[in-house]
Amino acid sequence: MRATIIILLFIVALFAKEDRVDIKAQILEKIFLNIHIDKGITLWCDNKHLLEELKKSSYLIVTDKCAAATIIVVENKESIESDENCKNKPIFVLNYELLKNIPESFGAFFWKKGRPNIVIIEPRAVFQNIRLSKELETYKEEKVW
Amino acid sequence: MVKKREFGIFFLLFMLGLFFAYIYTHITKTKNDIFERIQNHQIEQISYILQNIEIDMLDTSEIITTKDMFSMFKKEYVRAEYEHIISLMLTSNVKYVYILYKDEQNRFRFLLDASKTDKANFNQKFDVDSPEYEAVFSTKKPQVIQQNDVENLYLTYLYPIISNGDVIAIFNIDITTNIQKIILESIKPLETFFVVLIIFVLLLMVMTILQIFHYFVTRRKIFTDQLTNTFNRNYLEETLPLLNLSNYSLAILDLDKFKIINDTYGHRTGDYILSQTSKVFKESIRDNDILVRYGGEEFLLLINNRDKAKSALDICERLRKNINKERFVYDGHEIRVGVSIGLHKYPYLEKNFQEAIKIADKMLYIAKKGGRNRVISYDEKESTENSSSSGDISFVKEAIDENRVICHYQPIYDYKQSRIFKYEALVRIVTKEGIVIPPFAFLPQIKETNMHYKLTQRILLIVFETFKNNNKLVSINMNFSDLINSDIEETIINNLKDNQHLASRVTFEILESDEINNIELFKQKINLIHSLKAKVSIDDFGSGYSNFKTIIDIEANFLKIDGSLIKNIDISAKDFKVVKSIIHFARQSNMQTIAEYVHSEDVYNKLLLLDIDFMQGYYISEPKEALIGEEELFQAL
Repeated sequence: MRATIIILLFIVALFAKEDRVDIKAQILEKIFLNIHIDKGITLWCDNKHLLEELKKSSYLIVTDKCAAATIIVVENKESIESDENCKNKPIFVLNYELLKNIPESFGAFFWKKGRPNIVIIEPRAVFQNIRLSKELETYKEEKVW
Repeated sequence: MVKKREFGIFFLLFMLGLFFAYIYTHITKTKNDIFERIQNHQIEQISYILQNIEIDMLDTSEIITTKDMFSMFKKEYVRAEYEHIISLMLTSNVKYVYILYKDEQNRFRFLLDASKTDKANFNQKFDVDSPEYEAVFSTKKPQVIQQNDVENLYLTYLYPIISNGDVIAIFNIDITTNIQKIILESIKPLETFFVVLIIFVLLLMVMTILQIFHYFVTRRKIFTDQLTNTFNRNYLEETLPLLNLSNYSLAILDLDKFKIINDTYGHRTGDYILSQTSKVFKESIRDNDILVRYGGEEFLLLINNRDKAKSALDICERLRKNINKERFVYDGHEIRVGVSIGLHKYPYLEKNFQEAIKIADKMLYIAKKGGRNRVISYDEKESTENSSSSGDISFVKEAIDENRVICHYQPIYDYKQSRIFKYEALVRIVTKEGIVIPPFAFLPQIKETNMHYKLTQRILLIVFETFKNNNKLVSINMNFSDLINSDIEETIINNLKDNQHLASRVTFEILESDEINNIELFKQKINLIHSLKAKVSIDDFGSGYSNFKTIIDIEANFLKIDGSLIKNIDISAKDFKVVKSIIHFARQSNMQTIAEYVHSEDVYNKLLLLDIDFMQGYYISEPKEALIGEEELFQAL
């Protein structure tokens, strides 16, 4: 599976453009297939286009309501600040800086200098009872730099 | 024969396509060459600057290990200082400049990022996927990564920072595609132009291939006779220029009495016989022999001479015997067919193929004349005997083509009323030198050849033209084979059907002979003449084969007594009696009589005693080109 993620990232790096939502959704699918929580993963995303793409996945459960989600994918901090239903849920962000700004965020997928990057902050994940597969080992970080 | 023109066009297009492809490749190669030069130039410049920074960094800060580097850049003001220095490298082409190191877990992290955009934090992890990053550490040499225009990146240059022989960090320079894009945009129209040209040429090539393919598909149809499944004349015409005639003997095959089969059993039976006999022909020849249906029941066979074991004559004989053995059954009728074959062993000796065909055709005629169902080969003996034959055929052909066929007209005299009753049209050919050649010099040689029919046709046209606008009567000689020839029949009908004034003044003098082997057909054709209101005369009656029953049945208008009975009538009592009997028979049968060969006054006077109706001969008048009047008769005296 790790190899799959790496190969996928490599292919993405070869052919993808940053703004390709479908590619982003595919990578997120791979990431969330290697993440486990007790309640099971139900995703919600503040990016409507990405949410629609994620719905196409055969493996992920995706919801239109933040309240029903067990993990929320955030691109814009403001989108969850005003929504009480989104409070106290594990957050996966789409920007490295958001890892700093949102303490509940445990991981991020983002583009850095034209390359796709994944970061999982291990202590935050552990704190939120999120278990990670070995495939995500290489992306683990102790803190946000 | 195979569409040379299309192959030529295809070859030209192919060469043109190659030329355009070469130019396109050359442009692409030049483009890549320019890119490579630009790249090398950029790298060279960057390397020079990086080298200076590296020296400055290592020397001034006494850095030996990666840890030293980490410690140094951990200080924000140091980072700021070096970021400022390194950022001077940023141009419109150099997008990102940063320094990476490899941690204990072999993950790359940022030490410093001098980029103006998408800036990374100190020690932030950086996921890299290219093997060149590891290669920098293992080879300790700079590496170049070709990017794929992701985020406008063209290439990444990795420059190792080496201390004490170890790579402790790497400079990472990301270069944009700006210049390349400008070059590409400049060259693009030219590239597009050649791509369009190549596509166009390829399309033309495809169309040409399709045309050639279509040609080959329809070729079989075009070159095959549908009824007999043998080659047809088209094939012969196409193949002939490519054939080496010295490898072939030429035979002309003609089914004996095929017309009778057609007339007796119908055309369907005729077609069946043709298809079956051609099957036998094909089974009797070899693969390298060429069988062509030359027309009607006539086949042309090119016998390959490479197989010395079997001579062309043997093959023709085998073919003839195989046909003889066959019993063709159609619609309950068992039909046996014979074949006559004229063979020319060495057609290449003739000046052209048509000449060779004429000789083979002549041999075929001899075979027919000799009783049919036989093979006659052209050899030295026949060559001598018939040395002039092919010349005679071509002599007549040329005369027809060059309008040198004329008619002389001999008066047929009505002595009772002392007037010219009518004229007999007699063919002549005028040579190129202006000499008038009588028919006995060329008619026998072309008898039963197509040329004979063509000549008859020409005579008919000349006579019809001469007599259509006067009130005189005319006789035209024809034999049975002329009468049953469809072209001749068509000429007669076309000219007489709607011109009764002319038709009523025309008499067809049919030679009465054993050639009339199909009485019913003969009667049918005579009826046709009667229906057109033209008249029929029996020519040369009394000398050879005289079928009184047929003569009565066809209701001829005139009976011309053969010259051999007339010429000695003044001295031969026997001839006198025969002629007297004929005149009696004719009168009883309601026919008027004509005596030909009246060459002397004695003959003329003798005939007066017999009360013959009309007379003709040199005594009265020789044939003349013009239609003479009564005042010019008896001038030979």
